[in-house]
Amino acid sequence: MLLPTARLLTTSAPSLGFLQSTAAQTKTTLASLSGVDILIIAVYFAIVIFIGFYLRGASNTSEEFFMAGREMTAWIAGLSFVSANLGSLELMGWAGSAYQYGILAAHWYWIGAIPAMLFLGIVMMPFYYISKTHSVPGYLHLRYGDGARFVSAISFAFMTVLMSGINMYSMALVMKVVLGWNLNFSIWVSSITVAVYVALGGLRSAIYNEVLQFLLIWLGALLVPILGLIEVGGWTNLKAQMVQRMGSMQYVHLWSGLGHFNTNPMGVHWTGIVFGLGFVISFGYWTTDFLVVQRVLSADNIRSARMAPILGAAFKMAVPFIVILPGLLAISVLPYKLVGEGQAVATGGHSYNEVLPLLLVRYLGPGLLGLGVTALIAGFMSGMAGNVSAFSTVWTYDLYGAFINKKATDRHYVAMGRWSTLVGVLISVGTAYLVQHAASIMDYVQQLFSFFIAPLFGVVILGMLWRRPTRAGGFWGLLVGTTTAISLWWWVHVDPSALRYVALSPDAKDMAENLYRALWTWIVTVVVTVVVSLFTQPRPVKELEGLVYGVVPLPEEHDDHWWQKPIVWAGIVAAGFVLLNIIFW
Amino acid sequence: MRAELSIWFFAGIQFLLFGLIIFLEGLWELSHPLVHPPVLNALHPAVWWGAGMALAGLAYTVIFWPRRGPLVTATDLKGNG
Repeated sequence: MLLPTARLLTTSAPSLGFLQSTAAQTKTTLASLSGVDILIIAVYFAIVIFIGFYLRGASNTSEEFFMAGREMTAWIAGLSFVSANLGSLELMGWAGSAYQYGILAAHWYWIGAIPAMLFLGIVMMPFYYISKTHSVPGYLHLRYGDGARFVSAISFAFMTVLMSGINMYSMALVMKVVLGWNLNFSIWVSSITVAVYVALGGLRSAIYNEVLQFLLIWLGALLVPILGLIEVGGWTNLKAQMVQRMGSMQYVHLWSGLGHFNTNPMGVHWTGIVFGLGFVISFGYWTTDFLVVQRVLSADNIRSARMAPILGAAFKMAVPFIVILPGLLAISVLPYKLVGEGQAVATGGHSYNEVLPLLLVRYLGPGLLGLGVTALIAGFMSGMAGNVSAFSTVWTYDLYGAFINKKATDRHYVAMGRWSTLVGVLISVGTAYLVQHAASIMDYVQQLFSFFIAPLFGVVILGMLWRRPTRAGGFWGLLVGTTTAISLWWWVHVDPSALRYVALSPDAKDMAENLYRALWTWIVTVVVTVVVSLFTQPRPVKELEGLVYGVVPLPEEHDDHWWQKPIVWAGIVAAGFVLLNIIFW
Repeated sequence: MRAELSIWFFAGIQFLLFGLIIFLEGLWELSHPLVHPPVLNALHPAVWWGAGMALAGLAYTVIFWPRRGPLVTATDLKGNG
């Protein structure tokens, strides 16, 4: 879906807990690598490190180190935009969800991403870009002042390194479960590699590697659905086999079972999917999470900045082919049934989330298996590099440079960026070990992100589209919105039966909670921001130039041909999105 | 120093190396069948997938091979793409 690696888990079914439990068992590993596989992994690491050293000389100024010199083309920024989100845990988690819930899981890739990405490209990107902000907290600073910037920056920086550590630990566990690799080995090798190439080459190096990783993920994972479809005899046969095996048609339909909470495997309602996921969560993540927005800010001009999310949306739309389809194939081809985490622990069986590794082992021999494992490692490293580079930028620009040392030289800030990259990686490693000894932390931290996304989106979108919101309005909107999210979560946490009130139905299941919590949180944020703003002094219009819709005309883009216009490409992607939803209705 | 190599050149090199390794492994398996072959291994996916990767990688490596020139242009920095 839209959320990166473990971050996505705040709004979804996949849980990393399975890894904890599975690793705790003493069952044999799924596969062992041959010399050829090891060679492929070694070549990958060599290329990644080389790129870091190679780009070191191109990251001397802060603009180069933190923003990649704002020289990326639409294609590179767009691929990086999607790749930063395409972590390996996301791949495995959603493949597991597809096994569990059927094609419904594709909502997190389509309605849960595409409209928001197109909206970012068409509506929001011009404001981010022409304001020349370095970050989303930086935009909040320009629009709402230092209070909102501080709240946003500190929460983002803190959560980013924590999540990076959780991802790191989870990936190390995957390698232990699948290949029997030592936890310490996986944690240190991967983190040192990421630290080296990001600290040396900055965002440019992260972006270069993310693009390579995106291509690698596709090449490594694409054979699974291809061979899987050959084995089952095509899509029509697969659907028939799924219906026979699961005893329900709803595993192969996107929308037809969403009329009521109890007519689909997820226990959700279409209002939650459309408004909670498709609007609040999706727009919140794709348009205000700096981890992904940073990639687009590196574009070389405003047209590239607008095209990047649109191109990213086109690629995102195709990702279910390598994530959701394998989950569906597993329903048909695996000779045993996958189970939930608890049952997997008790019986020594395989859990839902092992779908992708199981299929990799099923179809890929020596060499190809190495490519598949490298794709998983690449996915993990792209997610981690995204976290660390975003952390480094927000720390240096929005915390250190804004509140601690405002008048340092550019060279000093670049040095701070390199050091904060290393520190960010070390904190991540520390988090990984902390989680190893206190697994419950993982669940809580994953929830934390969901507390900030909806309020942030509410405040940013209001401030961008309407000139009336004030500094006080933005600050209180963020604060009350976040408090609302935490309160709703806590309510259901201590009294699970409260879900019937949050999701408006006694038939709602766990998945529905996140969707409706986000929706209510966003509504509260918007109401508070509007009300407080109406009772406080508005900012002079002159101060809002380049920050708010309608204050000054946006710079004209001169495309030579009609087909070069971003709106045309957005329309094509939107048409593809609608078509897919109709086909799989 | 400024970046001179296109990102697509790196992509080409990576795919070329991976493709060659996998293709050669696939050829080796033709004469030395695996003891525990994966499902559908009779289709020899390593051969055609590896060959495809190697060819695509070769094409990108050649097309984006760093050209000698007096000055690195902005286009080079942007990856020509």
